[in-house]
Amino acid sequence: MLCMLLKNTENNMNKKIINPEEATNIVKNSIVKRRSKDSRLKLFGRAAIGLAVCFLLFLFYSIFTKGYPGFFQYYVTLDINFDRERIDPKGDLSDNSLFDGDASAIVNESLFSIIEPKGRKEKKLAKKIVSSGKDVRIAKMVKDDPGLFGTVTQVKFALDDDIDSFLRGYIKRETPESERRINDKVIGFIDKLNEEGRISYEFSDYILSGSASGNPEMAGIKGAFIGSLLTLSVCLLIAFPLGVATAVYLEEIAKKNRITEIIEVNINNLAAVPSVVFGIMGLAIFISIFGMPRSIPLVGGMVLALMTLPTIIISSRAAIRAVPPSVRDAAYGIGASKLQVIFHHVIPLAMPGMLTGTIIGMAQALGETAPLLMIGMVAFIVDIPNSVVDPGTVLPVQIFMWADFAERMFIQKTSAAIIVLLGFLIAMNALAVYLRKKLERRW
Amino acid sequence: MFSFFLLTGILIISLFFFLLGYNRAKNLINLNQKNLHSLTHYYGIFCSLSALLPTLGVFFIFTICDDLVFAELVKEYIPNEVINSKDYNFTIVLAQINNSVEGLIFGTPPQWITNAAEIWKSWVIKSNILTMIVCAITILTSGFLSYKKIHSEFRSRNAVEKIVMTILAVSSVIAILTTIAIIFSVVFESIRFFALIPYDEFLFGTVWNPQFEGAERAGSGQEGLSQYGAIPLFAGTFLISIIALCVSVPIGLFSAIYLSEYASSKERAFFKPLLEVLAGIPTVVYGFFAALTVAPFLRSSGSMLGLDIASESALAAGLVMGIMIIPFISSLSDDVINAVPQSLRDAGYGLGSTKNETVMKIVLPAALPGVVASIILAVSRAVGETMIVVMAAGLAANLTANPLEAVTTVTSQIVTILVGDQEFESAKTLSAFALALTLIIITLGMNFYALHVVKKYREQYE
Amino acid sequence: MNSKKNDLKSLELTVGDVFSKNARLKARNVNVFYGENKAIDNVTIDIGNKEVISFIGPSGCGKSTFLRCFNRMNDTIDSCVIQGEISIDDENIYDKKIDVVPLRARIGMVFQKPNPFPKSIYDNVAYGPRIHGLSENKEHLDNIVEESLKRAGLWQEVSDRLSSPGTGLSGGQQQRLCIARAIAVSPEVILMDEPCSALDPIATAKIEELIHELGNEYSIVIVTHSMQQAARVSKRTAYFHLGKLIEVGKTKEIFTRPKHNQTEAYISGKIG
Repeated sequence: MLCMLLKNTENNMNKKIINPEEATNIVKNSIVKRRSKDSRLKLFGRAAIGLAVCFLLFLFYSIFTKGYPGFFQYYVTLDINFDRERIDPKGDLSDNSLFDGDASAIVNESLFSIIEPKGRKEKKLAKKIVSSGKDVRIAKMVKDDPGLFGTVTQVKFALDDDIDSFLRGYIKRETPESERRINDKVIGFIDKLNEEGRISYEFSDYILSGSASGNPEMAGIKGAFIGSLLTLSVCLLIAFPLGVATAVYLEEIAKKNRITEIIEVNINNLAAVPSVVFGIMGLAIFISIFGMPRSIPLVGGMVLALMTLPTIIISSRAAIRAVPPSVRDAAYGIGASKLQVIFHHVIPLAMPGMLTGTIIGMAQALGETAPLLMIGMVAFIVDIPNSVVDPGTVLPVQIFMWADFAERMFIQKTSAAIIVLLGFLIAMNALAVYLRKKLERRW
Repeated sequence: MFSFFLLTGILIISLFFFLLGYNRAKNLINLNQKNLHSLTHYYGIFCSLSALLPTLGVFFIFTICDDLVFAELVKEYIPNEVINSKDYNFTIVLAQINNSVEGLIFGTPPQWITNAAEIWKSWVIKSNILTMIVCAITILTSGFLSYKKIHSEFRSRNAVEKIVMTILAVSSVIAILTTIAIIFSVVFESIRFFALIPYDEFLFGTVWNPQFEGAERAGSGQEGLSQYGAIPLFAGTFLISIIALCVSVPIGLFSAIYLSEYASSKERAFFKPLLEVLAGIPTVVYGFFAALTVAPFLRSSGSMLGLDIASESALAAGLVMGIMIIPFISSLSDDVINAVPQSLRDAGYGLGSTKNETVMKIVLPAALPGVVASIILAVSRAVGETMIVVMAAGLAANLTANPLEAVTTVTSQIVTILVGDQEFESAKTLSAFALALTLIIITLGMNFYALHVVKKYREQYE
Repeated sequence: MNSKKNDLKSLELTVGDVFSKNARLKARNVNVFYGENKAIDNVTIDIGNKEVISFIGPSGCGKSTFLRCFNRMNDTIDSCVIQGEISIDDENIYDKKIDVVPLRARIGMVFQKPNPFPKSIYDNVAYGPRIHGLSENKEHLDNIVEESLKRAGLWQEVSDRLSSPGTGLSGGQQQRLCIARAIAVSPEVILMDEPCSALDPIATAKIEELIHELGNEYSIVIVTHSMQQAARVSKRTAYFHLGKLIEVGKTKEIFTRPKHNQTEAYISGKIG
């Protein structure tokens, strides 16, 4: 055997190319090894994709499991005596009058009648069980339905966020009292309420209709959601016409010369500028030089529009390029002017592609945070913006702010806000996919 | 509100001019008993556009300029003793006056501020009236002139097309204006920064410790308490990018290889968009994920192994950023791998290569420039990424190569410095602009190079 | 082995002598489908040892598709389905046990368009021996490269610039480089798919001369749409039309006395 091998080698040295039979043998002998190498690469590829998909699934899983409870919170049901004298001392249901009333005291009294705290200290602790938004809630109820006055009605109040965390089990009974955020007395009160069957776990009426708040149990995303909508509308109104106009100009009208070349390079580079830099530009140009107010959706939308412009231009140009020249020739052939060709034929045919690109750009704008931080949309704004010049915030920024807060409950609320944001994004992308499928034309 | 009403008014008047032009064209047809050069509605559009556009221009110039003019004028109403005082800062004074104008009064402002605010308010009314009058004059004259132009020989379609072409050309210039605005906003402030802090200290200094001037004075009274050495920031950015690349390059590249060479077309159609979902998730969500899921997980598993991992670590931020940029590498590499001509694969297979050998020895070397470009693009994305590092990497400017410690990056410092209240003149605020300038230069350089490589690569196979 | 009956069945379609005494490759009743389309219809043919055979026919007649069946290059196309039997030395190459890698090492291929790898000339030729492990050391590899280039008639032109890129050569040189690359693997059969269609007449002449020489050592199947080329390089010629093998025979006879009227029509230029 060894002899043969040596002989073979000698042969090989002499003969320059091995003869086919020998080559076939060599190849056949090495094939198992090579095949296993091959399947290893395939396995690596599969593993890589699997890993990426796992990351994605884990991300979604962790957000959803954290965020789903964020849509719910604990409430306590109390019997409220709607005494007009005390709630609405002036009797005109005006904001001033309701503000002067002592609805909180009524709620507290009702609470005390159940848990019976002794002494000032215990009463002070007991007051904190119910969220501080209780008087606002009563004021809203009597405004909506003045018929409540004079009745005794059961009303649900949100519990304070620490109590909520305790009921969810984040604050443990076993932890020594000095290390917990709530002490044994309060736990006793909660047990009492629980025995009476007054505590319930329900869909939160704050998360979707509330606005930013320092009290996590009252915080909601309505303000940020509306802010996002306003900002996106400004962004769309600016970026879409500008993007389409630029794309049409570059593809259909402009001659290929230095200037258009510069514009093209410029657009490509603009697409690579980090988003935070657009924020700096917004801060320096719109706010410092033009003197526009901070924190308003108008400025936010303008900054995001400039940021998404390259995306829209690039996809619109691709859509225009996909319109076959025969369509243009046909239109020119019957004597249409250049603009008529563009507006009657090219743009309608390219519209699906342009819209898809625009939606993708808008989705990008919707998720963007950093540039909006720069122009002050990070301010703590309780009021829900009514127009593009009212101060407001947007969903991603709201998420960023909440993620920074220490209270346990904000984590759930943040995740809930993320779910809403992701849902919004998924809807937009689904729309893009639908448009592409529905309007796609094959030439 | 005023601007809104004025704009509506302008629009209504230009609509009115449309009708005027339209009717005049109709009348001309009836009068001359022959058709005009263009369709009648073009005459209307011509009238209304020529009335609208100059007026809009005037309107925007007035609205933008009035605040600037007021800011200049209001200087006269600031008492001398305030101007001469040590803490005088015009930006802050202006903000105080503006707040007072908008009715946001904190405490009791000095009398001169209230006075200035009153005067400011009267200016606003005057300027509004002025704007309205000028707009009215413009819209009426330009509308009337264009109306006059309409006669039987007038070619309104050509005129309208000329206007529209100009609008299209102007909008394509917006992209350039944006770039100029970016450069303008960053460069000027950077120059002011480098006037305060020498550039070699910024580029090569190893301690980053910016302080507001107020804080500086309140300190021990030492000069130069602030230090602006950006090396720790560059190092932090670099460290996080490297960690991100360690995650994303193998995963992205192997995914790309699998998708382009091994996967069936069905698998490809399913997994490619799925991977791209990773790029569509907002960065703030990644930041939240990094800070509240990955970092605690790393910390607890680190302590099990006896490692002390900071709660805000470069590792957590880098890992999550790596996940985020996977699709940049996988999709782009997949594209360039697919662009390698089939004939080369055929040659490989014809010689009896396995898939592995074809990919590793023929396709990948041929696609290498494109793959490198995709990695560079991913790096530039990682360097410019902000939210993940702000939320998960921390703010401590440590100069370390240890991924388990907290580091800070260029972008997170920009955000920290510029969010919230600023003293516009302080070196600390200005340093953010210098950082932004560096950031732009780095990312644009990488992008430029990557696009250049890709372009050359495409030409090779066309 | 297929039964005689099947062979006869195909004989009804094909005119001439499809069988060869010392056959290396045997194709029996081969059908090829691209999805619904039938590209090759029941073709039976033998390819002899150290024989040069041309496949001719109008474009789209399936001659290239059929050629690619011999080293299973059609495997790379998903929708392609092959029925029937093709064997090399009486071993069915479509058998499940057969690995395509050693098969393709035995049956080399040269493509229509020269497709050198974007590597140096040396690496292009050395690629095959390297992946198959055919050389023991650097010196041996050098020898293989040199010998292959010599056999491909390229050595004199490139011996001084082996490290320059293969893509920098002229079209004809590139094609000869591809032939050298195929030879370096020590194949038994070389399939050539219109190897000269992208080349100018002078380069074509050189390649034809080369094919003629190589015919002494290898079985060569060459697909061409040039009848002159077929006449110049091959002893045997097969005429395909619309996926069917119409006629096989000695090249001289096919071109001078075609038996089938379709062949005659093609030869005389009525079908192009």
